[in-house]
Amino acid sequence: METGIRILLLTALLAALPGCASVRDWFHQRAERRAERRAAEAQRTEPRESEPPQDESAPPRVIEPEVSRRKITVPRIRSSNVELGLDYGALSIEDFGTNPVYGITAGYHITEDFFFQAEAGRSRGGRTSFETLGGNIQLLTESERRFTYYDLSLGYNFLPGEAFIGRGIAMTNAFYLLGGIGGTDFAGDTKFTVNFGAGYRIVPADWLAVHVTVQDRVFQSSLLGTTKLTNNLEARIGTTVFF
Amino acid sequence: MAHSTSTTRSIPPFRSTECRPEWSARLRQVALASLVLPALLLAPAVARAREYLQVFVAQPYLELHTGPGRGYPVFHAVPRDASVDVLFRRTEWFKVRTERGVEGWASQAEMLKTVLADGSPFVFGLGDRAGFTSHRGEMGLFAGAWGGANYVSGYASLSFNPQLALEGAVGQFLGRFSNGVTGDLGLTHVIVPEARASPFLMLGVGEVHTEPKATLVQASNRTESMAYVGGGVRFYLARRFFVRGEFKAHWILTKRNRNEEADEWKLGFAFFF
Repeated sequence: METGIRILLLTALLAALPGCASVRDWFHQRAERRAERRAAEAQRTEPRESEPPQDESAPPRVIEPEVSRRKITVPRIRSSNVELGLDYGALSIEDFGTNPVYGITAGYHITEDFFFQAEAGRSRGGRTSFETLGGNIQLLTESERRFTYYDLSLGYNFLPGEAFIGRGIAMTNAFYLLGGIGGTDFAGDTKFTVNFGAGYRIVPADWLAVHVTVQDRVFQSSLLGTTKLTNNLEARIGTTVFF
Repeated sequence: MAHSTSTTRSIPPFRSTECRPEWSARLRQVALASLVLPALLLAPAVARAREYLQVFVAQPYLELHTGPGRGYPVFHAVPRDASVDVLFRRTEWFKVRTERGVEGWASQAEMLKTVLADGSPFVFGLGDRAGFTSHRGEMGLFAGAWGGANYVSGYASLSFNPQLALEGAVGQFLGRFSNGVTGDLGLTHVIVPEARASPFLMLGVGEVHTEPKATLVQASNRTESMAYVGGGVRFYLARRFFVRGEFKAHWILTKRNRNEEADEWKLGFAFFF
């Protein structure tokens, strides 16, 4: 049956591909090209508008305006939607104690309300209470205790506002909600991980932001005998730079 | 329509200069230096003196907000015929500087009403339905299934024209029997780009790295090439957002006697730029 779907899709693709043959103006959607074309059109049409009407009875023009039209080159306007940064905090790994975590964050602001965020971080699992009580028992090797995660999330800014320091300094800020998916590499296995959380962002300068984020990373684990959903709460503070 | 007085306009002689206190500049340098890799790569671009685009207010006045959002209060109004320098853009907001050096945020809708020095309208890419039809690139993230395993994936695409795009995707599948990562590159053909729900077809090649779980017999990691054909639908939501659902049928070209097939289903959010 699956081979049937493949053949069907291939046939549809073959039927639709002639549309791709019209690639005469590649990248034609770029705004610069459009602006150039519009400017050229404007130049073509303008002289016609400014021409005096061909009327014999009209008095001759005294002054011929000799104004050279300036050519405007539109410099590329810098977009500053990308945020890159580092963060540090504490991660509570279920059954393995709370440990420091450090990570990197990359964000892309799509609208004033929504943004995408990618994160990666690393921590270490401590000893479980079973290991501590049991004396010389080791559940995991040292390398298996390394807790590495990544996630791709969608963020929503809510309650945006301004924060003030004294009379002279105002900084924009916002709370945001985060939710996404990713993977967690812990105890010798990579688990599908769902994350959700909230954060607070303050922007002291147009190029700088400081974040405080709390997130829960949920994945299924059967490490301690039974299969269960583990909640791994993380709180961290970070700083990002806008590009 | 050309602006009649624009030809005699000259650039205002006054231009504000950067007069930050020195400690602020140093703080900025230190902070940038602390973000070693990206900063080293991109700091020159930030620090370089720029030539800004100057636009003229053609509406009665241009409102400047204190922040890049609809709720931030208006603190300054630039009168008609005055100019502003466009410093940079963040989402739907432009940071501008007036002739007197006042800096504030102007909305995309307001900036559309401004004109360039020659009287032609200031045009820029908008995040709307027209942009959905024809744009330069897309990015998005997906959740789904890959051969029965959970699948996390992200993609980016570069459009040649509204119909044809080059697309690359990476993903990780996490299953009961094996984990692995995939990467592929191919062409996407959007059949009706102007429709709100526009179907598309895909064709491409990729690589898959599979790590079987250690409890199974055949437990060696392997990297194999694959080819895919697929199809899907993208549905415009609002602003720059759309939902995208797709199916890819992969042929995995193994070194064993028979090739394998794997189906990929995924659904996710994407945006265009």
